[in-house]
Amino acid sequence: MATHLEITESLKVFQDNYNSNERLKIMNRDWNRVVVIKATDIESLNTFIVQDGLVSIKEGALENPDLTVISDSETLADMFYGDITPTEPYNNGTLRIIGQEDDIIRLDFISLMIWGE
Amino acid sequence: MKKVVSVSLGSSKRDHKVQVELLGERFEISRVGTDGDFNRALEVLRELDGKVDAIGLGGIDVYLFVRQKRYAIHDGLKLMEAVKVTPVVDGSGLKNTLEREVVRILAENTGLLKKGMKVLMVSSLDRFGMAEALYDMGCDMTYGDLIFTMGMPYPVKTVAELEDIANRTLPELVKMPFQMLYPTGKKQESQDEVKVQKFAGYYYEAEVIAGDFHLIRRFMPAGMSGQTILTNTTTRDDIEFLREKGAGTLVTTTPEFEGRSFGTNVIEAAMVAILGKTLERIDAEDYLELLRNLNFQPRILRLT
Repeated sequence: MATHLEITESLKVFQDNYNSNERLKIMNRDWNRVVVIKATDIESLNTFIVQDGLVSIKEGALENPDLTVISDSETLADMFYGDITPTEPYNNGTLRIIGQEDDIIRLDFISLMIWGE
Repeated sequence: MKKVVSVSLGSSKRDHKVQVELLGERFEISRVGTDGDFNRALEVLRELDGKVDAIGLGGIDVYLFVRQKRYAIHDGLKLMEAVKVTPVVDGSGLKNTLEREVVRILAENTGLLKKGMKVLMVSSLDRFGMAEALYDMGCDMTYGDLIFTMGMPYPVKTVAELEDIANRTLPELVKMPFQMLYPTGKKQESQDEVKVQKFAGYYYEAEVIAGDFHLIRRFMPAGMSGQTILTNTTTRDDIEFLREKGAGTLVTTTPEFEGRSFGTNVIEAAMVAILGKTLERIDAEDYLELLRNLNFQPRILRLT
């Protein structure tokens, strides 16, 4: 089990990697989305905001998110630290993402562009 | 008579059966669409196994080739592995050979492809051979995979960047449910109106639109201005659709039988039946030689 602090730290690592990737910023310049990250086994809510190509993070959950990412704390931390990809937990049901299909694929794609080969 | 069946995740509305003669041998070629029903496709494949000469898998890719690398789509592999006896192919082996050859023929023998032409490939990772051949002959490429798959307005302009993105993402994306990556079943019969509106500019700016027909169709806006469409599987209705939208010329990479061109999976399956070799022993040169013997030429149809 990971702590809320670890999830938040993992999101910061993800944010730093994303924001230092010029290509991703261009790719997502018109993709303004609010993504809530929710753990199922501990009290942990974070919001990941993509605005004008840049990512920022806020503690807690904003209302009416475009996407909600739900999983156990360990999976969330591992995923945002880049230790695992989202595909396997998504396919086996450990990770649930509520939102439009295109947005779900894009989130997966962003993660792979940061951590991929 | 040899029997070749294409089992497709696509719409059953496109089902058909024809008899043709290839190199002096009679073939019955048929298609069975399962309307996006994966389990039905598995059932049909198991029923056909051992009863026909070769099977093609349609409406789904199994292998994606990116230069020397081959990525296997997991859902496609599941279908392929359901067949134990009969040779089963997805068309990717032939596609990589045939479509490079078609680009060469069009460039050398027609005015339909010229250096500097603006070409939109609605999807390119499913036909890297064509993507690379068009780039190598000097076309001004827009690879639209990111635009049309996930709505990201990011035109990839070079094969090198396409390859980089593919190598970063495909090892994982091939594990995703196939219907998240490609329209199957009923989705193939409709247009994605939001993307048609949003990304019409990419179609209008291009002189040639190339790639998978279902994707070309799904995103094509009205008011095209005589563009050439370079694709493979089309029916009479598809040709009418292209006319209505204002496309100028249709080039299909596979031959026409009874008013429609067949998918590469069907043609590859027929070739496997002709060659009579195990799949492991068939290479690109076998396909090229057979294409020459069969005198396969791209079909060019003026639409205006």
